[in-house]
Amino acid sequence: MDQETVRTICYLARLEIGQNKSNKIQKDLETIIELIGGLQNIDTSDIEPLYSPLEMTATTHEDVVNSDNKKGKFLENAPASNEDYFLVPRVVE
Amino acid sequence: MTIQFKSIAELRGMLDEKLISVSELTKETFLLAKKYQELNCFVTMNEEFATKKASTIASGDQTSSLLKGIPLAQKDLFCTEGLRTTCSSKILSDFIPPYTATAVKKLEDAGSITIGKTNMDEFAMGSSNETSFFGNVHNPWKKGYVPGGSSGGSAAAVAAGIVPGATGTDTGGSIRQPAAHCGITGLKPTYGRVSRWGMIAFASSLDQAGPLARTAEDCAILLNLMSGHDEKDTTSLNSEVPNFLTNINQSIDGLKIGIIKEFNLGDLDSEVQAQFEESKKTYEKLGAQFLEVSLPNISASVPTYYSIAPAECSSNLSRFDGVRFGHRAENTDDLNDLYIKSRSEGFGDEVKRRILIGTYALSAGYYDAYYKKAQQVRRLIKNDFDHVFKTVDVLMTPTSPNTAFEFGSKGTQNPVELYLEDLFTISSNLAGLPAISIPHGQVHSLPVGLQLIGNFLKEDRLLNIAHVFQKNTDFHLAQPNLEDFS
Repeated sequence: MDQETVRTICYLARLEIGQNKSNKIQKDLETIIELIGGLQNIDTSDIEPLYSPLEMTATTHEDVVNSDNKKGKFLENAPASNEDYFLVPRVVE
Repeated sequence: MTIQFKSIAELRGMLDEKLISVSELTKETFLLAKKYQELNCFVTMNEEFATKKASTIASGDQTSSLLKGIPLAQKDLFCTEGLRTTCSSKILSDFIPPYTATAVKKLEDAGSITIGKTNMDEFAMGSSNETSFFGNVHNPWKKGYVPGGSSGGSAAAVAAGIVPGATGTDTGGSIRQPAAHCGITGLKPTYGRVSRWGMIAFASSLDQAGPLARTAEDCAILLNLMSGHDEKDTTSLNSEVPNFLTNINQSIDGLKIGIIKEFNLGDLDSEVQAQFEESKKTYEKLGAQFLEVSLPNISASVPTYYSIAPAECSSNLSRFDGVRFGHRAENTDDLNDLYIKSRSEGFGDEVKRRILIGTYALSAGYYDAYYKKAQQVRRLIKNDFDHVFKTVDVLMTPTSPNTAFEFGSKGTQNPVELYLEDLFTISSNLAGLPAISIPHGQVHSLPVGLQLIGNFLKEDRLLNIAHVFQKNTDFHLAQPNLEDFS
């Protein structure tokens, strides 16, 4: 882990860490990665990963229209919107 | 007649015998919440709506349920329609959800009254409630001490006797550990037992909602109503829900309790250890037998959890982008800048740390080494549990290695120090198993909890074993002296 890696991860996560906190974050990440790294000593050959405690296929339901469409209410929570859309800074010049 | 420190069952009796009306009970609850405001257990109060609902019930609402008119508090991670839901984060500090989480809706439909939303660790990431944007919650047993986390506000509100019950969520111990530190009872159900719909997700394969209350009996009352299949949550179990009160008084004669060899209880604080030995004796007197069992991979639970939980968190929290809801930064150059600044201003340090760890664990070149590896070890841990449950009915451990600690005394220099607080609780989240924490005495004048872990869908057995303990002891009846807070 070095400052360059910290910067790359921060960008991937769309986070900015102030210069004053960058060294502390690097140290914290190193400590946590070291903790997780301990797993390498466990033999997991031929072991299938367990991604969820419920090993079942997700249930499905009929694709039918219901009355739960609350467009207006959802748009009310947006920091900026018009009557149909969420508004963001211009992305196409 | 005071309502403070009354259980749900006791309040039910008072209401049925007309010793108090629903409106009076609601009013008294808000008076208590205001009196003990300094505990900081609530982020948002729901007084206007709660008062209205109380008068509707008083004027002849036909609902018939044990919860009719009972005041409850909801962890501020459950969406509540029209009532601010913050997850104790700046990024959601003005968020008003357009719908109510299924677990809360079921409790409300049964006639309970939501008093307010409780303080918590930001996005449920913490074991001490110190990461909240809205400040620390005090442990009702000692000012300046943590209530545990992440459901710290819910635990403190129940322990202070303001409400008889509250909802919480448990991703790595977030119901059980604060219940232990505050001297109350808290249950994490089997993964999938309670719908996660409307819960703001932290780690989707680990998160589970459950009750915090004064007694195991009250937890059973709450779980009866919270449980059940929900087609809005594809991970919600479509299996029959028993009535958790039916067998709660059953004898535990012949019960086999496993003690996990790998946990080295000898390393614990000698008084925590002594308390644990005392509780073993209590169970032996009630007819239980103890067997030492081995879960060879359980010591890997902490590193496994701290790979999986941050990975799922980094994915789940990518939805907070300042576009559709939540905090948006001002004066941004372009869309990318808007994402970066909104997220950087909105999230606190611990949340950022976990997002970064998760992003690293999931990034190209590291996925197999960290994320996939952890999920493989997770299966080994689950296999260990499957194996021991062929021999024993439940497992017993202390809930936490320590009692509550002073604000700022742990994890500030090294975050891993605080992560180790979850040592006894996180394995049941990894395996999806139910587990309960019950108070079993005090060490250094602070409560300590006893944890029982059950097999898949065996909440009824856990509640029975906890209830029988509470019928034969009085630890759950202890009340904190709240003079410092009023």
